[in-house]
Amino acid sequence: MSKKAILCVDDESTILTSLGDQLQSHFGDRYVYEFAESADEALEVIEELNKDGLEILVIVSDWLMPGMKGDEFLIQVHQQYPTIVTVMLTGQANEEAIERVRREANLHHCLYKPWREEELIETLISRLQ
Amino acid sequence: MSTRQSILVVDDVLDNLRLLSGILADKNYMVRPVPDGVLAISAAQAEPPDLILLDIMMPEMSGYEVCEQLKTDERTRDIPVIFLSAKNEVMDKVKAFSLGAVDYITKPFQAEEVVARVETHLTLRNLQRRLTEQNHIMSETLQQLKATQDQLIHQEKMAALGQLIAGIAHEINTPLGAIRASISNISNALDTSLQELPQLFQQLSPERQADFFALLQTALGTTEHLSSREARKKRRALKETLEAHGITQAHTLANTLVNMGIYRDISLFLPLLREENTVSIVQTAYHLFMQQNNSRNILNAVDRASKIVFALKNYAHYDHSGQKLKADVIEGIDVVLTLYHNQLKKGITVTKNYEDVPFIAGYPDELKQVWTNLIDNAIHAMNGQGELEISVQIEGGHPPKPSHDGEREMPSYIVVRITDFGHGIPEDIRERVFEPFFTTKSAGEGSGLGLDIVCKIIDRHQGKIEVESQPGKTTFSVFLAIET
Repeated sequence: MSKKAILCVDDESTILTSLGDQLQSHFGDRYVYEFAESADEALEVIEELNKDGLEILVIVSDWLMPGMKGDEFLIQVHQQYPTIVTVMLTGQANEEAIERVRREANLHHCLYKPWREEELIETLISRLQ
Repeated sequence: MSTRQSILVVDDVLDNLRLLSGILADKNYMVRPVPDGVLAISAAQAEPPDLILLDIMMPEMSGYEVCEQLKTDERTRDIPVIFLSAKNEVMDKVKAFSLGAVDYITKPFQAEEVVARVETHLTLRNLQRRLTEQNHIMSETLQQLKATQDQLIHQEKMAALGQLIAGIAHEINTPLGAIRASISNISNALDTSLQELPQLFQQLSPERQADFFALLQTALGTTEHLSSREARKKRRALKETLEAHGITQAHTLANTLVNMGIYRDISLFLPLLREENTVSIVQTAYHLFMQQNNSRNILNAVDRASKIVFALKNYAHYDHSGQKLKADVIEGIDVVLTLYHNQLKKGITVTKNYEDVPFIAGYPDELKQVWTNLIDNAIHAMNGQGELEISVQIEGGHPPKPSHDGEREMPSYIVVRITDFGHGIPEDIRERVFEPFFTTKSAGEGSGLGLDIVCKIIDRHQGKIEVESQPGKTTFSVFLAIET
């Protein structure tokens, strides 16, 4: 009965809305979708979902955000929840940062903005099975 | 070319010509004797001598007339002329000098005197020529230096831009991402709506259809934008409200309704929410709403991208005319801030305090370079983390008191203050920061020309720049004159 969750993190709300619409349109009600506009907020959401007993399957996160950057965030999350699939969605290729996340957070895939919807969905499907 | 200097000697008395030729030839000068004025002029024009010895009393054309002619012709104007004459009155000498002669020797003359004066004037003439040549070289060099300076300034500007490009590219990719996603969402939503709508209207009663449209209208009318945090709160609250009303699938419904901006008074929509297939009804409404929302997203993204492109074009623009234009100081600062947005976003909060200021006559492109240099230095001083304050105000310009007639207004200035809260400038180098090639950055990071160029630009705006600094706070103040 308890659904699993997909968390999207980006400081631009238009990106979050776009992601949400794409996920809803492909996965419908199969998953719960949550959104956060910063790494700090995302950590709060993860706490809340834990309390509600919802398992987080995937986190899609931007890299460049005010405050904690996406790489630091994903690495921190991976340490606490090593089973969560991590995906980065970024407009800027900071190769160093991406490498770090690959090594220390088992980064599944890095998507570049502007991303193609098919690529996003395929990336998720491959790990959601 | 002969290294001997040539002297043209003009006298109608042949004995005099022979005598002078002998004296001068002895001293190794090349002498050209000529017996009258007309010949003298044509000889001088054909092959300009280094000096002319000119008798005054000659038939047909006097020495004075010859001199006058020589001075009107460009080819012969600068040749020194020494008059030789028996006339000894002061007025004669004065007339000679007034015609442009450099000296006057009275006859009978002493050979040594003639030689001495000739030598002196030839030396003078040579020095004069060398001086003119050197001036010419200096003037050319100055032109080259100015051109180089302009080039340097332009290069500084492009170098700064080069540093920003990576960040700017990202800035443009974000709205592009939103646009691409929005368009594909609209396309999907439209497809879905086309399938959903006919079915929907077959199933709904007229009252429920009216409700449906009311729901849609409300959704389309919302302009308030919720942050993700607020949206989460509203979703929870709405879910509880719906559950309290005994509505099933409250979670999904709450999500969709809040996404449409519907979370306030939902009592109107309760009948619709109690329908059996309420989830698909509400989602149909959402798909329609989504199309408008995504369209709005596209417009916002386009605006955002345009703003960045404008800032880039504006910054890269190079005005060649050298003429002063109307400069909007605040717009210039904002253009630079837009270009630096990506760097600033990584950890610097920007506070702006802008007063209303008039346009000034100036060079808008160069002023942007001033802001670029100061903002770049500020970011560097804070290592990319901290606060940046920019204020723009008018100062000075106190009107004269009524009792003082004719007292001019104190000049008024636009004052731009850029403050960073970085490590500060130590007192011992504070004086040096404006020196060309002085830099505290490591080799290759900075040319050291930034503040020097800033000073030159501010000079061209009849302004001045001051710096106050202590560890933890540095303010650069730029004063730009407002000309009335």
